[in-house]
Amino acid sequence: MTLNLCVLTPNRIVWDSEVKEIILSTNSGQIGVLPNHAPIATAVDIGILKIRLNNQWLTMALMGGFARIGNNEITILVNDAEKNSDIDPQEAQQTLEIAEANLRKAEGKRQTIEANLALRRARTRVEALNTI
Amino acid sequence: MACTNLTTMWVSSKTSLSDSSSWSFRSVLNPLPLPNHNSSPLRSSSVSPIQSSLRELRDRIDSVKNTQKITEAMKLVAAAKVRRAQEAVVNGRPFSETLVEVLYNINEQLQTDDIDVPLTKIRPVKKVALVVVTGDRGLCGGFNNFIIKKAEARIKELQGLGLDYTVISVGKKGNSYFLRRPYIPVDRYLEAGTLPTAKEAQAVADDVFSLFISEEVDKVELLYTKFVSLVKSEPVIHTLLPLSPKGEICDINGNCVDAAEDELFRLTTKEGKLTVERETFRTPTADFSPILQFEQDPVQILDALLPLYLNSQILRALQESLASELAARMSAMSSASDNASDLKKSLSMVYNRKRQAKITGEILEIVAGANAQA
Repeated sequence: MTLNLCVLTPNRIVWDSEVKEIILSTNSGQIGVLPNHAPIATAVDIGILKIRLNNQWLTMALMGGFARIGNNEITILVNDAEKNSDIDPQEAQQTLEIAEANLRKAEGKRQTIEANLALRRARTRVEALNTI
Repeated sequence: MACTNLTTMWVSSKTSLSDSSSWSFRSVLNPLPLPNHNSSPLRSSSVSPIQSSLRELRDRIDSVKNTQKITEAMKLVAAAKVRRAQEAVVNGRPFSETLVEVLYNINEQLQTDDIDVPLTKIRPVKKVALVVVTGDRGLCGGFNNFIIKKAEARIKELQGLGLDYTVISVGKKGNSYFLRRPYIPVDRYLEAGTLPTAKEAQAVADDVFSLFISEEVDKVELLYTKFVSLVKSEPVIHTLLPLSPKGEICDINGNCVDAAEDELFRLTTKEGKLTVERETFRTPTADFSPILQFEQDPVQILDALLPLYLNSQILRALQESLASELAARMSAMSSASDNASDLKKSLSMVYNRKRQAKITGEILEIVAGANAQA
């Protein structure tokens, strides 16, 4: 019994195959999903998705969205998703530093909101490289 | 080849000269009397002007030929890119279909009338943000002009209503237009690049999101070019925010389109010509919904879903805009190629006539010289 995982972004399908287990970061904490999980719908936070295939874990950075877990079918809709193998470490680090600098000089509610979002995204990408 | 021409003409000139005068002979051979006028009295010195204008004509014909090659190539490149743009839209369909399904399911399971999600909040409108999507390069006919004119018209309307406005410009052409007009407040300049991806849509979405949530603007409208057919594209204005919780897309006149209806365009050939067909899909929404338990509060779930919807709307607008730009470029380059080939034809005809006139002139000189000697 394996889970079928679909990770969709607005312009492409990032992942569409079977997995053994996933660990998802949601707004209310991390949840682990094994085969035959009860059907739930949850919001996905900007964070890491860990996928297990045959005792090997793969990490993906997700930029927020929604997940629906049905009958051994997981559909994750996110704004953007990147496999950790696709992220360039130096570029991710640079983006993180730029995001931190932008947050420091953000003035006003609106710039702070934007800068916060950008920072969280950049941080997730760097984390995806560091985990496993 | 010129020599044989000369000899045959020599023979014919010999026979006809005895019958008619040289003037009428020349007029029979050359239907354009004007360039001959100068050549008759000053035969020796007129040879060089004719020669140089022959060379100029030949250079012009070569340059027109080159231009035609370039425009033809640009048309083919644009056609190939339209296909890629089409694929991008098709790739985005699984996402939007699933999203719509989930949105419907959630709306069924909740009473959305009293849902209070920040992105759907309808406030009294004092300031409007206009997202204007233009292209990056020129040579696409009236494409960029149409959308900019529509933006200007909308700005005037808003000014007439006494509302404040700000512009978010996407695309180099729009950017340069608004940069030259500092009296229009522009919030951000963005660029879509050759193929809009989720990252670019995210950048626009972030900007729009923060503007709306921080209550700096009360309404966000999206101006882009809808891809109707290869020769026709329509600039449209859609209201992006506030979103309706059911996921309807509304334009400024309040006409709402159900989110489940999706239109796709396909580049095909019909009767040997490239055409575009639009197909309307309706996403099948399940009549029964599996009992989904919500991990979080339904409001939080909607909170997570609606930005996704916003993102996909913006991406679709960018993709359609790109497809219309490519179609406009295809038709502009196609008519440019046709014009170039017509110009080449008429220039070649003038060139040939000039060349024949020159040869005739030389023959007549020789004949006159021979007569003078005899």
